[in-house]
Order: sequence, then C-alpha cells, then structure tokens
Amino acid sequence: MAEVRFSHVTKKFNENMILNGVSAEIKDHEFVVIVGPSGCGKTTLLRMLAGLEEITAGEIYIDNVLVNNMHPSKRQIAMVFQDYALYPHMTVEENMSFALRLMKLKSGAISARVHEAAAILQLTKLLKRMPKQLSGGQRQRVAIGRAIVRHPKVFLFDEPLSNLDAKLREEMRVEIAKLYQRLNATIIYVTHDQVEAMTLAGRIVIMNHGIIQQVGTPIEVYRKPANLFVAGFIGSPTMNFLYGRLQAEGEKLFFKNDSLTLYLPPFLLADAARNAGREAALGIRPDDVVIGPGVREDCSEKIEGILEVSELLGHRENLYIKAGENRILAAVEAFFNQSPGSKVSVGFNYRNMHVFDKKTQKRINNS
Amino acid sequence: MDKKTIRHRRKKLVKYLLIHAVIIAVVVICVYPLLRIFSISIRPGDRVISADLSLIPSGAGIAAYLRLLQDTLFLRWLWNSLIITIATSFIGVSLASTAAYAFSRFKFPGKKTGLILLLSTQMIPAGMLILPLFLMIMKLGLMNTYLGMIIAYSVSSLPFSIWILKGYYDTIPRSLEEAALVDGTSQLGAFYRIILPLSTPALSIAFLFNFTTAWNEYLVARVVLFSSRQYTWTLGLFELQGQYITQWGMFAAGSMLVTVPVLIVFLYSSKWLISGLTLGSVKG
Amino acid sequence: MDILYSIYEVAWFVLIVAAGIAALEGYFYYHFKLYGKKWFMAVSAVFFPLAAVLLCRYLGLVEGGGLGRVWAWFFIAQVLINLFFKHIVKGRFSLPYMLLAPAFTGLALLLVYPFVFQIYLSFHDLKLTTIMAWKNTGRLPFAGIQQYINVFTTSPLSEITFWTLLLRTLLWTFTNVFFHVAGGFALALLLNNEIRFKGFYRTLLVIPWAMPQVVAVLAMRGEFHSQYGFINIMLGKLAAAFPALAALGFGPVQWLSDHPLATCTLINIWLGIPFMMVVILGGLQSISSSYYDAADIDGASYFQKLRYITLPLIRPVLMPAVTLGTVWTFNNINVIYLVTGQSGGTEQADILVSALYKAAFTYNRYSYSAAFAIVIFAMLFFISVFYYAPTFGRGNLGIRGSLRGKVISPSSPARG
Repeated sequence: MAEVRFSHVTKKFNENMILNGVSAEIKDHEFVVIVGPSGCGKTTLLRMLAGLEEITAGEIYIDNVLVNNMHPSKRQIAMVFQDYALYPHMTVEENMSFALRLMKLKSGAISARVHEAAAILQLTKLLKRMPKQLSGGQRQRVAIGRAIVRHPKVFLFDEPLSNLDAKLREEMRVEIAKLYQRLNATIIYVTHDQVEAMTLAGRIVIMNHGIIQQVGTPIEVYRKPANLFVAGFIGSPTMNFLYGRLQAEGEKLFFKNDSLTLYLPPFLLADAARNAGREAALGIRPDDVVIGPGVREDCSEKIEGILEVSELLGHRENLYIKAGENRILAAVEAFFNQSPGSKVSVGFNYRNMHVFDKKTQKRINNS
Repeated sequence: MDKKTIRHRRKKLVKYLLIHAVIIAVVVICVYPLLRIFSISIRPGDRVISADLSLIPSGAGIAAYLRLLQDTLFLRWLWNSLIITIATSFIGVSLASTAAYAFSRFKFPGKKTGLILLLSTQMIPAGMLILPLFLMIMKLGLMNTYLGMIIAYSVSSLPFSIWILKGYYDTIPRSLEEAALVDGTSQLGAFYRIILPLSTPALSIAFLFNFTTAWNEYLVARVVLFSSRQYTWTLGLFELQGQYITQWGMFAAGSMLVTVPVLIVFLYSSKWLISGLTLGSVKG
Repeated sequence: MDILYSIYEVAWFVLIVAAGIAALEGYFYYHFKLYGKKWFMAVSAVFFPLAAVLLCRYLGLVEGGGLGRVWAWFFIAQVLINLFFKHIVKGRFSLPYMLLAPAFTGLALLLVYPFVFQIYLSFHDLKLTTIMAWKNTGRLPFAGIQQYINVFTTSPLSEITFWTLLLRTLLWTFTNVFFHVAGGFALALLLNNEIRFKGFYRTLLVIPWAMPQVVAVLAMRGEFHSQYGFINIMLGKLAAAFPALAALGFGPVQWLSDHPLATCTLINIWLGIPFMMVVILGGLQSISSSYYDAADIDGASYFQKLRYITLPLIRPVLMPAVTLGTVWTFNNINVIYLVTGQSGGTEQADILVSALYKAAFTYNRYSYSAAFAIVIFAMLFFISVFYYAPTFGRGNLGIRGSLRGKVISPSSPARG
C-alpha cells in the first residue's frame, strides 16, 4: 500500500485560483476524508491525484514517486466516480474486468479477481446484467467493485454517496467502512457531507476556498475547530455564534455585545489583559446550551430569552431562542413543555465553549 | 344530466369530429400523389394515360414493373446509386465522428471559429458549388465515374453530421472517459472503446442523413454523369418521365420501387432525424 | 462483370482516402513533434510544397506553365503553417487538431477551394468556346469585373433580368416559408389535441417529406398536367357540375405552361409543410401542461393561451427552423428545375439559383454564372449576418433532450 504526499499543489483555471498551495501527507492504510462546501477545490485535488486534471504548480507523490505527468492508469490508483461512470454498453462483469483486460492479464486471473470482488460486494448474481438494469445501490457497488479488482495502492472516492437516497446512503456508508477494514487500503474520500466525514474518516481534511483549513481526527476537528469556518462546518445542528467584544475588568474577562454580557473564566481563556479589546466570536454547540433555571458546574450565568420555535425530532428537541439581538439554537431532551413566545433562561457550558478572533477567524482559546 | 353538461358534451364532440375531418382531408392531400403513382404503375399498358381517377384500375397488373426491369437499366441505376451512396456515407460519417469528438471534448484555439465556419457552410447555395466541382472533376478526368460522384458528395453532409454527433457526444458524461483513462486506455482508446460504441444511435442518424442526401441527389449527378449506364436512379427516372409521356407506366413503377424502402426507413427513423435537424441548427 | 468493376473502383477509392488520411495525419504528427527544430522547418518548406506540386501535376490539375506559380503558393502556405506551429500551437493540442484534420481538409478541398475557385472564375471568361483551351493549357482570358456588370445588365437566360429574378426569389421565399410555417403550425396544433390515431396521422402527414424529392416533385408535376392531372380533372368536373362557375371562367388551367411559378409554389408548399409540422409539434409537446393549467386558472382564452404561452415557448424551436427553411427555400433548385427544367425552357418560374444552374449547365456560361453565384452568396451572407446571426445559439432543443436517458447515469431509475 502507499503513502500520498501533496506539496504546494496549486490549480488555476484561467485567472481563477481553485487550489492555493495545498500541502498534506496521507499515510499508508489511512482513511482520509476531504470535506468542504462545493467549489472548495476538494474534487479538483482528487482529480489531480488521479491524473485527470493538469497541475498548475506543486508536486504530487505516490509512494515517493512524482506522478505529476504520469498517465492515470500508471499511478496504481482506482477511482469511484460521483456518477459511477459505469460503461453502459458493458455488463457488470465486463465493467469490472475492463481494466484487467487492458492490462492484458490472463483470462483465468481476470475471472478470479472479478469473482472475488463480486463475492465481497454481493454482486455475484448480477454479473451478467447491464448497468441500466441495476438499482442505484447496486450500481454503486459495481463502481466500487471495478476499483477493487485492480488491487490499487490508493482508492479514490469522489462523492460516491451523493446520488443515493438517505436510507441507502446510510447503508452504503457502513458498507464502505466494512470494506476499509477488510481491504486495509489507503483511501482518499471526497465529500461535502460532514456526517460522512465524521463517521468514516481516520483523519479529516477540511477545505475551503482552495485552502486546507484543518487536518485532524474527527474528534479533534469537532472538539477543537481551528477557525470559524471549521466550527461552522463540522457538527449538526450548526454551532451557535455570538459576536461581540472582549473586555477586561480587573483580572476578569468579559464578553460583551449590545444585549449580552458573559463572564469568561480563566480556564477557558487565560491572560485577560492580552485578550482584552479583541473583536471575538463565541461558539457554542446547541448540545452545550443549557436551558432552565437550575445551576450547574462550569456553566455560565443564565440569560433571559424568548422561545420562538421548537422542533420535535423524537428523542431530542431543537429550540430556537432569541436573547436580545442574539439568536441561539439549543438541542435538549424531549419533551420541552413550553409554547413559543414563553420566556426561557439560557446558559452555556464553559467546558465546550470556543472563542475565535473575529478578524483572523482563528481559535484563541486552548481548552 | 343538466342541459349545460349536455351542451358542453355536444360541443366537445363537434370539435372532435371537426379536428378529425380537417386532418383526414390534409392526410388525403399528402398521400394522394403516392397512391396515384401506385395506381398508374399497375395500370395495363394501353391505358396508362387516362383521366381515370380510380385507385385500383380495371385490369390491374405488374406489366409496367416487368417492363421496367427488362427493358431499361433500372437495376443498374439502383446499383450505381447504392455504391455511390454507401461509399459517400461511410466516408462522411467516419470523418465526422472524429471531428465531432474534437469539438465536443477538447479546448483548442480556433474551436469557436471552426464551429461557426461549419454553420456558415450551410449558407452556401448548393447550386453555387456545382460548377467548380464539375470543373474540378472534369480536370481530374473523373467525369461519368463513381469516383467523381463520391468526391462531389462526400463532404456535402459533413458539417451537418459533425453537428449531430457533437450534440450527442456532449450528452455522454465525461466521467465515462475518465474512468476509462484510469482503467488504462489512452484518450483515443477511450473514444474508440467507450464513446463510439455508445454513439451508435447518433452514428446511424448521421449515416442515414448522409445516405438520404446522396440517394436523392439529382443536380450534381446530372452534370457529372452522361452515359445512361452510369446513371443514378434519379437521373434514370427523370429520363423515363422526360418529354415522352409514353413512359408514365414505367416511371410510376420505378418510383414505387425506390420510394417504398426509403419511406419505411425514413418513417422508422424520423423522430431521431428531426431531433438531429433541430439540434444542428439550434446550437451555436 | 459490371458489379466486380464497380466494387474494384470503390475499393480503390477507399484505399486512396485511407492513404490520404494517413499521409495527412503523418504530416501533422511530425509538425506537432518537430515544430521547434530548425532543420525540420527548412526541410518541410522545401519538401512539402514540392510533393504537393508533383501530386497536382500527376492528377492533371496543373499544366506545365502553371507549375512555378502553384509551387510559390504552396511554399507560402507551408511557411505560414510552420509559423503557426512555432508561435501559436507550439506542439500543444495535437490530439484535437489531428482529429479534425481529415474532416477539415475535406471541407477545404471540396467546399472552400471550389468557393475560391468560383471567385477566380468570376473575374475571368470561361464559356463553351474557351473551355477546351483552358482544359489543355490552363489559361483563361481575364475579364475584370465585366462578368459582374453582365450579371446586372444582361439576362442570365434569354429574357429575364436579374432584378426580376431577385424580386421573384424574395416573393417565392416569403410565400413558401409563410405557408410552411402557417400550415405546419396549424397541423401541429390540431395533432397536439388528445385524439385517436394521432401517431397514424402523423406518419401519413410526413410522407411528402419522406418521399425522395425527385419522385415527389415529378409525381406532383403529373397531377398538374393539363389533361390527365388530378387537379384539372377535378376542376373540369366542378365546372361541368356548376355551369355558373364555368361561365365565370372557372375550369381547367394550363398549369405548367401558363402558371409555372404558381405550380412550383404549390408543389413546394406541399413538400415543406411536413417538416415544419414535425418540428413545431416537437416544440408543442415539450411545453409543460402546467403552464396551460395556470393560464386556465387565470381565465385565459384559447387565443390568449396561444399568444402568451405557446408562441413564446416554441420560439426557440421555431426560429432556427424558420432560418433553415428560409435558406433552403431561397436555394431550392430542385423543385423548379424538375418542374420546368426540360419542358421548353420556360423562364417564368425561375428564381435566382435555378437561373444560375441553367446559366451554367444549359447555356454553358461558366464565368458568368460564377459571378452570379458570388452575388447571390453575398446577398445571402449579409442577410444572415444582420438578421439571423443573433438567433443562432438561442434555445436548446433536440438530441440533447430526446436521447437523454440512453446513457446510464445514477439519476436515471433502474428498469430491471
């Protein structure tokens, strides 16, 4: 298996900067998910690795071999396309064996590999079918099978689940996770769906505007988002942001805006004097918003808000609260028995609070 | 049922009958000449010219067909047409298929100009090119030969074929070729192994278009071919019809023989042909 | 024997074409590969023009006297090609250019070269008396713009003038296109109703278009025959049945000799309606019925719906079809030639292009007709540029929509 290294990879379309000096290393046997909103350059990066897109500047190495000008088929990669790209005029078997036939393998070896992959993916009964006779999930499996038979060093997945319906997507997600354990291969997986990223990845690469925002394990990027973008992108429902200014009163640090004043304890943000005066954004995940009058440890003092809408999701309930000019989403246990318009008191869990500098967008607290 | 509903229903029925009546009238106008030819072709030889309007004349028979096949070179004409037409279509489609691929998948300087050039060739009056082609064929010493005809015909439908094929290639997702590239083909290999087999519908439309254009051509044939052995069927039929009204029966029989197969093929493929036609003119 | 010989002839031709394509691709391949090498530039500038001249000589396209001049042309062309490769292409885009090369070389030889040759002819004097000399020596008397003056001052045939022809052509084009569109539209609207036998009617209605044109025109011409044609027989019967009508001068008409243009127009309208009908029908069927439902709720009448929904929505389909139809009708030699071509050479039905064809091949006035053709082309070109150019590229119908689903994509539902 193989390592992949991106070194200052840049891509320009005419004058548009798609990728701006991306550097990353992907280790052997690693499952890396590249995630970001559409247009962030993640697919372009993958296609450059596959050799389907020219590289404007920088280098890409697979197993320490520079592949910049190598033909896609020589890179020992396999790719699963977003639309599967099954050859419509070939049967499932022909689709899966196409690459092997091009390699001029012996027919016995080809058939053995195809049947092995088909067995793994439960495609054995479908081998004689044409792609148009398959359901979406089956096509997806054929596309994966076509990648497996080649025994590549690196698997590339380009948004493979985005064309499936929600239920099938969950099933296939599990399938892919199982497949990874079984193949134990290096996988690079591109998606815009942060749930897929969180559930599948060993490490997540988060991209925006052609720049890598953060690289880390799912827990790291969830617990310690490096900047406002990552904080807003990872996690569902989306993190709450409160915008305001940091002010020091003696040794104590306060976060203030027009309708809110919050004390920030030292374990959250030390060195009050240095941080005072900064424009800042506080990030709190909806799960860390505490509702109700009760006092809890490590929780901020309560502020008053008005419940605007509540959404019941079953075991959880989303509360949309307005506190002065601040809008806060709280996710609490069902059932929260108050009707819209009623007053609620809101507190925030300091242990999972994130402080960002508004100007640099960077995280400033360390806890 | 109240009066209003009844009136409404009656109105609808009248409208329905009226539509059918009008359409049937037009259908008769469209089909009648063909039926007349058929009827003339089966008339007995002594009554070919008559003011008789009945579709199945008394004493109907296939005498005219037999005479056509025995006394004239009709089969030879058909054969000439067939050779010229197939060779033309074959060359036209093969040149168009690669050119269209270049236009569909690549960016290169002059692409837009090339496409506009193709469209503007449609503006050149066909009659305008006949003279220089005629002179060129004469200079090459190819008068009265298949080669001369094939050369004259071979590119006439090329711009159109390129447009049709480009339009079809554009609908084939690029990821198919990319998958083939990853699987180990070259760009040309991907074209040959993936795009061409997938494009058989469009290729057959283009072939058909080339075929019908050449098959029905008359004006070039008239100036290039001068011995009746080399005639295409269009020339042959025109000669039968000519000034000598005595040949009516055979003309009608010949017309039937060439029309019926063409008609069948055309009706079968007209849907595709039309989409190709509109596409060729629409996309700029 | 005949058959064997024709097969041999075609095989020979295929071989020539294949060899030509191979030579062409090789030519480009080495230009793409070696464009930077100085020695290649020099060799190509010497070798290729020489080879081209020898080929022309062999084919009999050039005679002894013209060799030097032709060589100079090829030399200049080769130098331009070399510069093009060195400074613009620089070895890039080799694949698309090599894919395009055969088709565009074919077009250049058989469309562009004849066009240029036509311009050359129009400034010289090629006619029946000079053609043998031209064939043997390649020399033609220079005529300056005399042919162009002749186009406007003398008749292309025997009597009719250019201006009459022009007016008649415009009238012919307008009348035909108008009736094609009107008739096609009316039929399409009728067929677009929920009626029985729709497919059957549609099939029968396209027969005039589907028939080989030569057969269709000649058959229709027969129906206009003064004695035995269906139309005159019917007119005669009507006149016999209603003497009052006959008294007013109603009765059989000498279509072909007295009203050839009207005959041609009627035949061409008959021929052209099916195409428009099918195109418009396709457009109508692509309009979503929800627009009409919305209009019904808004209380629109039938004609309001026609005016405010149908017309604007089929415009993208209609405009290109009308453009194409106009060009086709303007350039339609077939119908007029087949109807009037041999019967005593009547000029009453000729339009510009048919007069052009007859001037060249009935009267053998080659250079004159070349100038004539250039004038026609210039007119057509300016009309298109100023009037039609903006309509190209508007709208998007056709193969794109109708063949979608043939290609397997994840969004198309499984059928199995």
